Amino acid sequence: MKKSHLYLVGLAASLAMAGTATQALADDEITRGQLMAASCKACHNAAAADSGVPDLNRIPADVIVSQMKAFRDGDRDATIMDRHAKGYTDEEMEAMAGYFSRF
Amino acid sequence: MQDFTRRNFLKVAGISSAAAFTGIGCAANGMRGADKAHVVVVGGGSGGATAAKYIKQFSPNMRVTLIEPNATYYTCYGSNWVIGGFAGMDDIAHGYDTLRDDYGIEIIEDRVTAVDADARSVRLSGGDRVSYDKLVMSPGIDFRYDDMPGISESDADRIPHAWKAGSQTELLRSQLRDMPNGGVFVMVAPPNPFRCPPGPYERVSLVANYFKQEKPRSKIIILDPKDGFSKQGLFEEGWAEHYGDMIEWRAGSDGGRAEEIDVSNMTVLADSGFERVRADVLNFIPAQRAGQIAHDVGLTNDEGWVPVDQLTFKSEMDDNIYVLGDASVAGAMPKSGHSANNQGKIVAAAIVREVSGQEPINPSSANTCYSLVTPDYAISVAAVYQYQDGAMAGVSGAGGVSPSGASSSFRRREAEYTRAWYAGITNDIWG
Ligand SMILES: Cc1cc2nc3c(=O)[nH]c(=O)nc-3n(C[C@H](O)[C@H](O)[C@H](O)COP(=O)(O)OP(=O)(O)OC[C@H]3O[C@@H](n4cnc5c(N)ncnc54)[C@H](O)[C@@H]3O)c2cc1C
Repeated sequence: MKKSHLYLVGLAASLAMAGTATQALADDEITRGQLMAASCKACHNAAAADSGVPDLNRIPADVIVSQMKAFRDGDRDATIMDRHAKGYTDEEMEAMAGYFSRF
Repeated sequence: MQDFTRRNFLKVAGISSAAAFTGIGCAANGMRGADKAHVVVVGGGSGGATAAKYIKQFSPNMRVTLIEPNATYYTCYGSNWVIGGFAGMDDIAHGYDTLRDDYGIEIIEDRVTAVDADARSVRLSGGDRVSYDKLVMSPGIDFRYDDMPGISESDADRIPHAWKAGSQTELLRSQLRDMPNGGVFVMVAPPNPFRCPPGPYERVSLVANYFKQEKPRSKIIILDPKDGFSKQGLFEEGWAEHYGDMIEWRAGSDGGRAEEIDVSNMTVLADSGFERVRADVLNFIPAQRAGQIAHDVGLTNDEGWVPVDQLTFKSEMDDNIYVLGDASVAGAMPKSGHSANNQGKIVAAAIVREVSGQEPINPSSANTCYSLVTPDYAISVAAVYQYQDGAMAGVSGAGGVSPSGASSSFRRREAEYTRAWYAGITNDIWG
């Protein structure tokens, strides 16, 4: 009962807001790649860069993708990035990589 | 399903969402919903401060108010370094100036005492009200002292939990400093689920490191209601290598379950009363539950935690309230600062998208929990989480713990990354 109630609210909300949604600029919309890149920022930001954890804002997108693949496939030595990289598909790596310079 | 504490919340949710349509009306008149909405965040800790900051990052024109009673937040992460004697309180202190000055977040230094979900407003301790369109709550934990006979919350000024950082951290540190060489440090570990699964075991490691240098004849006993713990094999490998037999861990099924605490004699009764363990310094970490305000608002389940839609962290009880961090039920995600930080970003995106009339996104989030076994020797557990079949779950094939039997240079690198993680995440939250 609770769930169906929430679905109804959700449905009503999306109908009511259909007009608004189209007004939002495509560029304004938070994307999945952006939100996933935000997760990486917990460690990979300017404050950690002194300790050898790269600030991803300063790394080109294609390098981020190639290094993530190298970590995932065991081609680059790691303590932790191998364990993280195995959680992402090629498409996800690419979707994330382009966002870092935009935060 | 759970028996919800306040069923009438469904009605409240209905009324509130009807009210929200007024806001949407404004949006349709040329103003995006995101620019109109006022988000109030309760709690400036790991989850709340992240949510506030990322709402501003995703939607700079949105109005965000953060309500937190303390001007300075001391992170629990790093507090074991203070207890171990190689960091100071200043090293784990964070304020709200950057969030206010650089991100335009309104900071109210006060405690929320009540939430009126109908009127969509919160009440502050002084009686003032602040109204919201969306409410985010990340109140952390409170304790269940009632579960342990013999001790109450008022004994914490003698028998610290040090499971919220600040004066409790300093108290435990000073007790350890004053303890004579040859003394016994006893930790009563908490039952699941609790904040920071590896935290108790990191703490004893760093107390052992201090004892080894300053009070080598001392002993450490962990009385644990559980039969296992996070990164156990790696901790035990590190303990054997660095501390010999200084640390004794007693499993719940092996007499480790504390049954009563005799506060005046600093003694823990265990193993059906057969075992009396006397402590020179006693660290009782009680069983836990969501922060009190979540109970007061009626958001908790029978186990004392807040059930949420784990895709958005929206409360199951109220359509305009989001609850994250330790207080929430978050599937496989541990109650960690890193989880709370990830959830803050998920909530920020969910709110901005909802008020803009967009569907929620299902991201993957990375979590790492580092633990120091010595200041130069760390171990970690990592995972990538994603919402699957109604709950947060680990992405298969990813994550896991540090290798056993790794070289000392590997452990040292992880110790360097532990400090890098701290610098990074605190900058991401408060910087
Ligand atoms: C010893 C120890 C070591 C740890 N180490 C790590 C680690 O290495 N890595 C890691 O990821 N995690 C670690 N953690 C866990 C981490 O500290 C918590 O999981 C994290 O802080 C949870 O964030 P939160 O936002 O849920 O709660 P908190 O960070 O506790 O924030 C809650 C905030 O809400 C405020 N609040 C409460 N009630 C109200 C109210 N009514 N009105 C207004 N404000 C209110 C409080 O003042 C507080 O500031 C550790 C914990 C401990 C105890």
